[in-house]
Amino acid sequence: MISLPVLLGVLLIGFLLLQVVPTDPATVVAGPTATKAEIDAIRNDLGLNQPLWVQFGRYLGRVFQLDLGRSMISNRAVVDEIALTLWPTVELMLACLIWAVPLGITLGTLAARRRGTLIDRAIMALSVMGVSVPVFWVGLLLIQYVGGAGLLPFQGRNGPIWTPDGFLSIILPAVTLGAVFVGPVARMTRTSLLETLGADYVRTARAKGASDWRVTVRHALRNAMIPVVTLVGLQIGFLLGGSIVTETMFAWPGVGRMAVGAITSSDFPLAQGAILILAVGFMAINLAVDVLYAYLDPRIARG
Amino acid sequence: MTDAALPLQSEADQRAIAAIRRKNAVWRRILRDPPAAVAALFLIVIVGSAMLAPWIAPFDPYASNMRLRLCPIGGARCPDFLLGADNQGRDMVSRILFGLRATLGIGIAAVLVGGGLGALIGLSAAYFKRLDQPLMRLVDVLLSFPSILFGLAIAAVMGTGLFSLVVALSIASIPSIARIARGAAQSIMQQEYMEAGRAVGLGDGALIWRYLALNCWPTILIYMTLQLGQAILLGAALSFLGLGAQPPTAELGSMAADGRKFLSIAPHVSTLPCAAIFLVVLAFNVLGDALRDALDPKLRQ
Repeated sequence: MISLPVLLGVLLIGFLLLQVVPTDPATVVAGPTATKAEIDAIRNDLGLNQPLWVQFGRYLGRVFQLDLGRSMISNRAVVDEIALTLWPTVELMLACLIWAVPLGITLGTLAARRRGTLIDRAIMALSVMGVSVPVFWVGLLLIQYVGGAGLLPFQGRNGPIWTPDGFLSIILPAVTLGAVFVGPVARMTRTSLLETLGADYVRTARAKGASDWRVTVRHALRNAMIPVVTLVGLQIGFLLGGSIVTETMFAWPGVGRMAVGAITSSDFPLAQGAILILAVGFMAINLAVDVLYAYLDPRIARG
Repeated sequence: MTDAALPLQSEADQRAIAAIRRKNAVWRRILRDPPAAVAALFLIVIVGSAMLAPWIAPFDPYASNMRLRLCPIGGARCPDFLLGADNQGRDMVSRILFGLRATLGIGIAAVLVGGGLGALIGLSAAYFKRLDQPLMRLVDVLLSFPSILFGLAIAAVMGTGLFSLVVALSIASIPSIARIARGAAQSIMQQEYMEAGRAVGLGDGALIWRYLALNCWPTILIYMTLQLGQAILLGAALSFLGLGAQPPTAELGSMAADGRKFLSIAPHVSTLPCAAIFLVVLAFNVLGDALRDALDPKLRQ
C-alpha cells in the first residue's frame, strides 16, 4: 500500500503550509481591540500553545472531518471552494482522455502494424514531438489561431459539458491537454504490441487462419493494453501538470487554476486544500487503474 | 581487460578487436543515427551559446526602449533586432540567449543535484542490502507523487523564485535516477572484481566509489540526459504559471507567459521562447532515446 505514506506526506505539507501563515491566527480571531491577555486565552483555546505534533494530530482530525479552514481572501470554507472547482477539472480530464487515448492507441497500433515504414517513422516522430512540446505552446497556438479567429471560445467555462455552450468552451482546453498525451500512449501501444505480436498465441491464431487485423485487434491488442493502462495511470501525474497549465491559460475554473492563484496570492489555507485534493485525486485515479488492470488481466486479480 | 590477460592474441586479432570496439563506440552509434547526430550538434551549439550569452548577446537583455515596443521580426523600427523586440522594447535575440541560459541552467542544476542524490540512494541500496528495502520504498513514494505537485507545494511553502524551482525540480529528478542507479549497480555487484576488491581489504567507501560509481556513471549520465528534457519542460511550465522565475528575469517560461497578453498583435514575443523550449527539449529527448538504445543492446532492433 503505497498511498498511505504519500497521503501522510501530503498532509504534512498541508500542515506546514498553515504554519508559515505570516499572521497569527489568534490575533486575527481576537480582533483589533483585544488585549494581550485575551489573545493569549484564545491562543490557548485554539491549541496553538501545544507542541507541533499535537497540533498536527488535531489538523489530521479536522481534515478527516473535511474542515480545511477558510480562504484568507474570499473567507469562504476551503471545502466549498474545492467543491465548486472539482467537477470542472474532472470534466476537463475526461474530455481530454476520451479523444487522446483512443487516438494514441490507434496510432500506436498503426505504427506497430506498419513497423519500419514511413507511417511508423512519422507516427514515432510525432510522438517524440508530443512529449517535447510545452503544453502552454499548444494552448497559445490554439488561442492565437482558433480562438483569435473567433471560431471557438477560449476564456472560461460556459456551462456543463452537456450544454451546447459548455461543450464548445471545453473543446480548446481538451485539445490542448490531450495533444501532449497522444504521443506517450501511441509510443507505449506500439512497443507493447510489437512484443505481443511475437507471442506464441498470436502465431497460433494466425496459423488457424485468422485475418491479419483480427489477430492484431482481438488477440494481440487486448494483451498489449495492460502496459498501456499502466502507462495511462502513471501519466495521470503528467496530465495533472498539464491540466494545471491548461486551466490557468484558458481561465478554466478548476482546482489547478485555483491552486496556482492561491499560491501566488499567499492564500495558504486555500493552497493547502487545493494541493491536498489534487494529491488525493491522483491517488484515487491510481487505485482505479489498479482495478482496471485486474479486469484486463484476470491473472492479476487471482494473484 | 588488458592485453596482458590475453597472451594468445596475435597482433592482427588485437587490431580487429580494437576496430570492432571503435565501430561500436557509443558516439559512433550516435553519429550513424542522423536525427540523434543532428540533435547532438544542435545541443552543442545551443548549450555553447547559452553559456556564452553575456559575451555573444548583441544587446543588454534588460535594456528597454519603449519606442521599439513590440517591434515585429524584421520591423523597420528595429533594424538591429534580428528577432524583433518584446513588450518593453528589449531585443528578443539577447533575451532568448539569456533565457536559454537561465532555463538550461535551472534544468541542469536540478538534474545534477537530484540525479546526484538519486545516484547516491541507488548505489547505497545496491551496496548495503539492508538499506535496499527502506530506500526503495522511499523512492516509490517519491515516484508516485506527480512532480508538478512538488513544484506547487514547494512554491507554497518556500515562496516562488528560482531557488524553490530548483529544489522542486531536484526532488522530482531523484526517484527515476535512483532506480536506474540501483539497477546498474546491482549488476556490477555480481562482478568478480567486487569480491576481489573486498578480498584485498578495500573499505566500503573505496568499493562504492572506485568500483560501483565509476562503472555505473555512463548509464546514470544517460538517464540524466533523458531526465533533463523533462526537468526543463516542468521548470518552464512552473515559471509560465508564475511559480518559478519571476519577471524581469529572462527565462523562457516566464517570457512566454509575459508575451501572452500581446498574442494577437505581436505573437513573436511568446512564440519564440516557446519554440526555443520545444527545440531544446526535443533535442534532449531524441538524443536521450538514441543513447539509451546504443547502451542497451536488447532494445536495439
